Amino acid sequence: MPKKNLAILSILLLALIMVTIKFAPDLILTPAITAPATIRTLIKGENSGIEKPCLNEHPEWREAQEIDGVKIEASPLCEPDNPYDVAASVRGTNQISMQTLMQTHLSEDALVMGEDLDHDGDPDIIHIKLEIVELNGSSPDGNYLVNTYDIAPGVQPGLWVFAPKSSGMALKNFNSLVANPLLRAPSPVIRVEQGDKVYITLENTHYLPHTIHLHGVDHPWRTAAGEDNDGMEEHAVFPGRSHTYEIQPRHAGTMLYHCHVQTAQHFMMGLHGMFIVEENRPNNWVQTFNIGAGQVRHPSVAVKETYQQEYDLFYQSIDKRLSQIIQTNIDPRLIAKNMARDYNMTESHENYFLLNGHSFPYTLRDGLIAVNENERIKLRIANVQRSPIALHFHGHKATLTDNDGVSLPEALQTIRDVFDIAPAQRLDLSLQTINDGLHSYSPGLWMFHDHVPTGTTTDGMEPGGNMAILAYRSLLDEQGMPTLHDQLLAQVFDKNYYAKIRPVWEGSNYAVQLGDAGLLQPHLLRIMVFALLVGLSLGLLIFIVLFIKRGRA
Amino acid sequence: MTFVKLLGPALLGLSYLMAYPAHAMMEHEGMMMDDKGMIMHANHDTLPRDCQKLAGDVDITIRAGHEHAQKFPGKMYAFDQQEWDVAPCSRINITFINDDDIRHQLMIHGLPGYIYPQGMFHLELYGKGELKASLIMPAQIKTYLVHCELAQHMEKGMKAQLKVGGGDGDLSSIPGISAPVHADAYQINWNNMTWIAITLAFAIGGVLPFWLSKLKAKG
Repeated sequence: MPKKNLAILSILLLALIMVTIKFAPDLILTPAITAPATIRTLIKGENSGIEKPCLNEHPEWREAQEIDGVKIEASPLCEPDNPYDVAASVRGTNQISMQTLMQTHLSEDALVMGEDLDHDGDPDIIHIKLEIVELNGSSPDGNYLVNTYDIAPGVQPGLWVFAPKSSGMALKNFNSLVANPLLRAPSPVIRVEQGDKVYITLENTHYLPHTIHLHGVDHPWRTAAGEDNDGMEEHAVFPGRSHTYEIQPRHAGTMLYHCHVQTAQHFMMGLHGMFIVEENRPNNWVQTFNIGAGQVRHPSVAVKETYQQEYDLFYQSIDKRLSQIIQTNIDPRLIAKNMARDYNMTESHENYFLLNGHSFPYTLRDGLIAVNENERIKLRIANVQRSPIALHFHGHKATLTDNDGVSLPEALQTIRDVFDIAPAQRLDLSLQTINDGLHSYSPGLWMFHDHVPTGTTTDGMEPGGNMAILAYRSLLDEQGMPTLHDQLLAQVFDKNYYAKIRPVWEGSNYAVQLGDAGLLQPHLLRIMVFALLVGLSLGLLIFIVLFIKRGRA
Repeated sequence: MTFVKLLGPALLGLSYLMAYPAHAMMEHEGMMMDDKGMIMHANHDTLPRDCQKLAGDVDITIRAGHEHAQKFPGKMYAFDQQEWDVAPCSRINITFINDDDIRHQLMIHGLPGYIYPQGMFHLELYGKGELKASLIMPAQIKTYLVHCELAQHMEKGMKAQLKVGGGDGDLSSIPGISAPVHADAYQINWNNMTWIAITLAFAIGGVLPFWLSKLKAKG
């Protein structure tokens, strides 16, 4: 074939390519007149993620009761604290009946109450044993998480917690991967009486070294035997080992305890809790463990002098990427390397915000403050997030009474509706439900939450985070759930909502107008023409190459 | 160790069934506990239905602790042995020793439920110490799971298997014996030898066609 034909073919190819480009399909189309219709994102197994707002597993736990001589206040919530845990926490695991101990998961040496040294009617030597538990961790036996603990529907971040020493299975039952109810976030609130001789033993059941540092609690730097008593990094308690910290606190107040090994990481993994020293009074049996924080069902003598109720509120945040390290690795060496060296904590973010171990809507099950009118309620609040919180109560202004466990003189007890709490700070508030237009605006189901906007999100999904409700008891139903919120509850007690599969307003009357937009159909003819032209161009190119080659040969 | 509190099974069983049905494991007889540990569902005398008579006694000492995991890279806790094989209908007399200062358990699963409630035999030591208990294995050829059920202890190595009559296979992720189902990923050791081997293989591959065609031409 002459060279002229080759030139013509080449020009033809060039033209063809230009036309092909013209017919290239768009990645995004704009509709001519009508936008695509709203689609339902979930069709198959659509409601599989929806759960009952309240499982109502132990209605008999709600009423006021007396167990082994321990008076336990009523708790109207959906998930009240186990009253047997409360009884054991007040009397000690060594002084309750075997029947009561059997209703807890506590070991018999978890809390040993000793002698009444000053003969004022309550024990003064207290032995507390804590273990360390991993929740939502990985397993070499399959691609699933073990000892699971949901902070919200379907949300299972990897967590470490201190737990009272337990006995028996760590799982809820034989055929389950769910952790037993004693093993949960946050680490238990620990209460002792001012002047008590308290021995806190860390039995490190975990696979990394840890300590207990008693933040703000009056403690000597060394034990009587001259050993470490401050829980610093260089005195780490290694796996399989134990260490006892000794205190005899002279000052009462709301304090903290936390692990001080690789502190930035271990703190954000959940190794922190409230440590409360109650004022010394005669016959003052304090509730040593408040499992899961929240309402104190057996308040101390001093608290009862001024308040009708007491609640512990613990604000915690989780870094999703940090917590995933224990879910993607099993080998402790890989976990240690990933956490300490590969992951840079200065690039950490907070993705989950928890009040008492749960994010909304699970805060509705056990994180409510349930009040009556004309009550005075003591709130002990700790912030262990990496960011400050700005705690806001709807419909109320509370009074600040203590900062970091130190009482303020009356003149400095300010009344506010937003309280800023820096990381590791504690505030004691007096919340009064007196409908006077200042302390309370009226009975209601009033939200309370961190007013930093991200605080009410769960990995970016709203409503979530540490949102909870200050609920007047007359507005709770018999299962302790807030009335008048049915539509919201149906929307958020759904793991597909927090998995970001369901649109926000799908359950409303506006589902059609605010649901997910469907897809546009592609221009089939245009796409076919484009494909034809691409094929033609390629074919022509090969033809030309072969042609040149044959010409040379 | 002395077990001072033997539970009154009938009374307890009744009260727990009423108050707390989820806690079935607390309601049975044969559970003994004190402040050092507990024994659940020990069985010294009852012969399983498929056994004509006791085949004999097997004495086994099992130690638990972090030190026993040192020989298994990537593990933190382990028993001192990972496998036992006994004849069908043997009575196993276990001495369980905890070498750590923390809690450990020795649980055996999959046993006949009519002797061992929930198919489970459970020893637990609340700290350093020792306890003894017996159980009688059925005649069935089977491999039983032995593990510590504290959070992450099995996952970090405290897992073993008890075979009766040679067993019916291996369980997964037994340290030193069987592979995990869900394994960690590790870095690969790319060293000079690896590179030399790759280069050499590459060169041979390139020369091979020419060498073959030459060979063919000669032939």
